[in-house]
Amino acid sequence: MRLFGIETEYGITREDQEVVDPVVESMKLVRAHLTRAFEKTWDYSGEDPREDARGFRVSGLQQDREEDEFVKQDAHRPFSFREMKSDLVLPNGARFYNDHTHPEYSTPECRTLRDLIAHDRAGERILQRAATRRNRALSGPHVQLYKNNTDFHGHSYGCHDNYLLPRSIPFSSVTAGLLPFLVSRQLIAGAGKIGVEAQESGFRPGLFQLSQRADFMETELSVDTMYNRPILNTRDEPHADRAKYRRLHLIIGDANMCEYATALKVGTTRVVLELIARGAVPALELDNPVVAVKELARDPDLKAVVRRKAGGALSGLDIQEAYWLAAQKTLSGQDEETEWILREWADTLRLLTSDRSRLVGRLDWVTKLWLLETFVREERLSWDDPWLTSLDLEYHNIDPARGLYLGLETDGNTTRVTNEADIEAAVSTGPSDTRGGIRGLCIRRFPDQIKSVQWERVQFTGWLLPKTLDMSDLFDPDAVKALTQVLEAAASPADALKAWSQRKEQWQ
Amino acid sequence: MSKITTLERRERPFDPMPKPTSPSEDGGGPRRPETGSPDKDNLLKRMRKVDPKQAERYRQRTGQ
Repeated sequence: MRLFGIETEYGITREDQEVVDPVVESMKLVRAHLTRAFEKTWDYSGEDPREDARGFRVSGLQQDREEDEFVKQDAHRPFSFREMKSDLVLPNGARFYNDHTHPEYSTPECRTLRDLIAHDRAGERILQRAATRRNRALSGPHVQLYKNNTDFHGHSYGCHDNYLLPRSIPFSSVTAGLLPFLVSRQLIAGAGKIGVEAQESGFRPGLFQLSQRADFMETELSVDTMYNRPILNTRDEPHADRAKYRRLHLIIGDANMCEYATALKVGTTRVVLELIARGAVPALELDNPVVAVKELARDPDLKAVVRRKAGGALSGLDIQEAYWLAAQKTLSGQDEETEWILREWADTLRLLTSDRSRLVGRLDWVTKLWLLETFVREERLSWDDPWLTSLDLEYHNIDPARGLYLGLETDGNTTRVTNEADIEAAVSTGPSDTRGGIRGLCIRRFPDQIKSVQWERVQFTGWLLPKTLDMSDLFDPDAVKALTQVLEAAASPADALKAWSQRKEQWQ
Repeated sequence: MSKITTLERRERPFDPMPKPTSPSEDGGGPRRPETGSPDKDNLLKRMRKVDPKQAERYRQRTGQ
């Protein structure tokens, strides 16, 4: 079973204002996407972030003191929770909304890396187009958006990668098998950062790190996401049939600009999860993963070693190579996408030690470091010059006229996994083989008859009581394609639900 | 010797599998730039336009 998706919280600012209200700006950005009135269709009933995969439910989630104060102020704003969230479900099956004062784009569920990268990039385009419309209304390019994870003042926001797993895999196996991999994943998927910071503390410039998020990892396992952040988040919110599935919700990852890095990040994680399912992960338990994640982040020379619980020490490359060897031994020859992952993963690990310059345009931290080194040399700056922090930020600007990564891409100096046609297609339609595509199709076919939408169901109006298209166990790609045919042929939701019910009976 | 012992730092170099031509290189997936470091002129122009104080002003609220 393969199904994954990425949620990205973007940074947002107004360059014409000294004090920016991110709640209002995020709301207005999301609403700028609309060509019709905002309708409150997102169904929050399936959301419960307090359930913990370790078998308990917490009474509340933690946040820092500063955020406590902000939340008190938010309670007095002249709009409701639903209005503030401004949740939109898009014709491509994605969700676009204001989450914790950041515009967030959640891709539809994808089955292939190529679809996922196209949808991640489609999110950039959709947000940038909303910013263009908003800026037109403001008569200037005031709103700027950043696909990154820090404001360099101790505030981090996330890019979460999600994977559907069978619940039959014990969660303890997932944590044991995945922790060392996640600690070292930043070598291939870190977005790079100049400086060191921590939540509710200052920023120290100068040191280049592999990862934007490592500074904010404070514990190994936790259900929290805004405070005391874990390497492995234990939120148990499957958005699917709870008896059969769990959703692994990883919050340690950086938001990548490089398509290749995103593909490696999700592809290698998917491969490691398959190793866990087969009981084939290497035994690499680390002595202190939280310290290790920071030690590896702060060493772009990749010489740092971290201690194993069983004794001895390993570098980040050693850990990655151990996982690669296990994957090569266990999964080689499985299918074309897995072959691609194994080959590119190996190639990347080899180049990290032999010829890092060939990874410019492929890995974000390598690309950013190369940019900064070039600039330091040209402008004769010191490494603690604040200009470098601004360049780090601007690397992630999603305005193609300004963003440093997008400048490289425009010049043809990045490695692409998708092409422009893939991205444009993903702006308007969802994957053809997942329920994300079905969600988008419902939005396109029956926009006026939808009462509510969420990840696992769509509710239609037109009856005394709304009727529901249940997608909590719709993961067979053949079933998705059959339902797609039904929805495309139906004249109304009533026809579609009736036809789908009959089709399912024939199937069973 | 256990498998993990062979992975201790000093047991390099890592020798990954030979790399065949990617089916995706002809349009189905990644392309690679022919050279290592790309041309810098356009980028340097873009970088010099960045306001050195920009990050100092940039403030966000904590997200997830």
